[in-house]
Amino acid sequence: MKQSILDPRSKLVLALVAMVLLMTFSQWAFLIISLVILVAFVLSLHLFRPWFNFLKGLGFAVLTFFLIAWLAFDLTTGIISGLRLLTIGVVFFLFFQTTPPEILSNGLLKIGFPYPFTFVLTASMQFIPVLIRRTRNIRDAQRARGIPIEGGLRSILHLPALAGPLLIQSFKFADELAEAMEARGFGISGRRFRYEPRFRWSDWVVVAGSLIALIIALLVKFL
Amino acid sequence: MILRFEGVTYHYPGIETPALDGLDLTIHSGESVLVAGTSGSGKSTFCRACIGLVPHFHHGKLTGKVLVDGLDTGKHPVHELFRHAGLVFQNPDAQLFNQTVEAEMVYGLESLGLESSEIEKRLAWASNLTELDSLMGRSPHTLSGGEKQRVALGAILTLRPRLLLLDEPFTHLDPEATEMLRKILRSLKSEGITIIIVEHRLHEIIQDVDRIIIFNRGRSIAEGPPHQVLSGDISGYGLNLPPLLRLLRDFGLKITVFDIEKAIEELKAQNLLTPFYQHLIKQSLNPFVPRTETTHPVVEIEALWSNYNGTPLLRGINLKLQKGESVALLGRNGAGKTTLIKYLNGLLKPQKGLVRIFGSDTRKKSVSELSRNVSLVWQNPNDQIFRPTVREEVLTGPKIFHSYDPLWCDGLFDRFGLLPFLDRSPFALSEGQKKRVSFAAALSVKPDLIVLDEPTAGQDEPYRRELTSYLHQLREEGQTVIFVTHDFEFAAEHADRWLILSDGKIIADGSPDGVMEEATAMSKAGLRPTQQFQLIQAIKRLEENKN
Repeated sequence: MKQSILDPRSKLVLALVAMVLLMTFSQWAFLIISLVILVAFVLSLHLFRPWFNFLKGLGFAVLTFFLIAWLAFDLTTGIISGLRLLTIGVVFFLFFQTTPPEILSNGLLKIGFPYPFTFVLTASMQFIPVLIRRTRNIRDAQRARGIPIEGGLRSILHLPALAGPLLIQSFKFADELAEAMEARGFGISGRRFRYEPRFRWSDWVVVAGSLIALIIALLVKFL
Repeated sequence: MILRFEGVTYHYPGIETPALDGLDLTIHSGESVLVAGTSGSGKSTFCRACIGLVPHFHHGKLTGKVLVDGLDTGKHPVHELFRHAGLVFQNPDAQLFNQTVEAEMVYGLESLGLESSEIEKRLAWASNLTELDSLMGRSPHTLSGGEKQRVALGAILTLRPRLLLLDEPFTHLDPEATEMLRKILRSLKSEGITIIIVEHRLHEIIQDVDRIIIFNRGRSIAEGPPHQVLSGDISGYGLNLPPLLRLLRDFGLKITVFDIEKAIEELKAQNLLTPFYQHLIKQSLNPFVPRTETTHPVVEIEALWSNYNGTPLLRGINLKLQKGESVALLGRNGAGKTTLIKYLNGLLKPQKGLVRIFGSDTRKKSVSELSRNVSLVWQNPNDQIFRPTVREEVLTGPKIFHSYDPLWCDGLFDRFGLLPFLDRSPFALSEGQKKRVSFAAALSVKPDLIVLDEPTAGQDEPYRRELTSYLHQLREEGQTVIFVTHDFEFAAEHADRWLILSDGKIIADGSPDGVMEEATAMSKAGLRPTQQFQLIQAIKRLEENKN
């Protein structure tokens, strides 16, 4: 995870404006230049390897999007739709790669989101690997009893063998987690963060620049 | 006085039997106390009552008074108590909810709204004590079990509680991680922190505590210094006594010592060294005849390599298992033990190397086909339970394989004491009962190879005894058994062959005594010999020196 010099709030404004601009303009040149600039950011931040892994996941969605738009409209629309999804994907890839979830959560808190909401946002990401591991254990345990849940249509019949233990364990896990959080002061008033996000002049420049770009772009587009 | 229970009775909501039943006890500041007792004796409820989770979080009905650091827990909510008393829960995964170790450690301090400088000071102190400095930027869920345990401990320590409670902290730790945790606890004690440890395995910690309290059905039934309590008649309380003490009791000796040197001194003083030595030798003889090589081994593994995300887990494993062998697979956490057993029923297929089970190449057979002959009993029975009744749960395998043998299955229900529960939901059973259901389910398909993953982890003495009898029966029936464990005393008792895995390689293979004699391999794998072996060796050396 790359630490960013910008406050998560200014970065969020920048990412949202970039998304709006990419959604607004359909010119090839604009989308390709945007992609080149974004890739330059990826390379300058030494994020090529995670970006490549990200593309492996996003690639399927981009291809599907391209095919649907091509079949529904024409090839140009297909390519532009695919490019648009790709560039927006890279914008948010850069945002999340440079914003640790806790920093994002602190930023959202400052904007006025309630603490339980921002906590769930970060904690849920944290528990995905735990749930995957548990699911794998359950799947192994059931397959080892001869229950065919390897995949395919037949495995749907045996869904309770996977879903039953997973649900029961998830409830138990949630209970244990709630206890542990309670015992570390979750939700009490007067909470103070070690890293309080601070808006610096660079953040003001980014927010102002983003808003000016947005206004100019909208004027150009609609006037 | 840091903690006081005055006639505390507590019922969980909707449960008639009290989890704590008129509990009276006092813990003094700076003491280190071990709380022992069987599963369901009220130990975990006691921990929760100490930090106010009982009754504030669990609700239910509490009578009597709990005073922590002078505060009545009935009148103060958990968030007013957590800086006075901290609890390290049993399951590390469910108490680590931040993205990095550092964020985890400071979470409680942020809750308290402390100044940055104070947070940094406390973080430095706790991370240094728990030796976590090098892991600060890591995600807690990528850590080993021992490291997670230390993070959970560090996250509590930053709060500087005067009372620290640990609920079964040694359950999933290997010997090295256990030793490290013991070292940390000794440092904490020297800093004046009161420590309460709840544990089944007395021998891990008995030498480091000032007092032991034994729980039974929600009450304290014995308490005092370890020597005094363990000298009394405690046989009825289902405690897992330290192995050395068990050996002495088996020989009919009442002396209560916890280390080998003291035991030898006492034996010498009573002129019992030679007869005790002969008794040990007789006991260590394996009653089961070693198996001779046959042309068709049960398991044949040749040059097996395995890797996960580019990290090698197994590196050139060669292994043959003969029918009727009982094999213990030992090694530190992450050595590749669980990976290896997953190759035995095809859950993992070799990419490099060969695995043959009963002569069949596992690459050519599905997991379902292999599961007719190979049964796995997993550490956590909750991973498999999903049927509405115990009967259906046990009979799941035979129904899938169309191999239901009523006589055999009825025998299993009887052998595992499941007859009274057959029509009950398996979810409603205790953890020990669920373990029995899972064991019976594994045997219901009449397997030829039984694989057990950490069968004694987190289990109390009554279940260990049951397990001992099940394994004896299996061995008498000539079954082939392989089990993964950190419990060396159990491994020495039930295996006629030990395999030691270290960094994905088998570095020692032989009889338990033969392997324990290989000091280099034992130390490379971070293992220590059993107390019985240590005693025999120490007495042997003495005898040799005499001659």
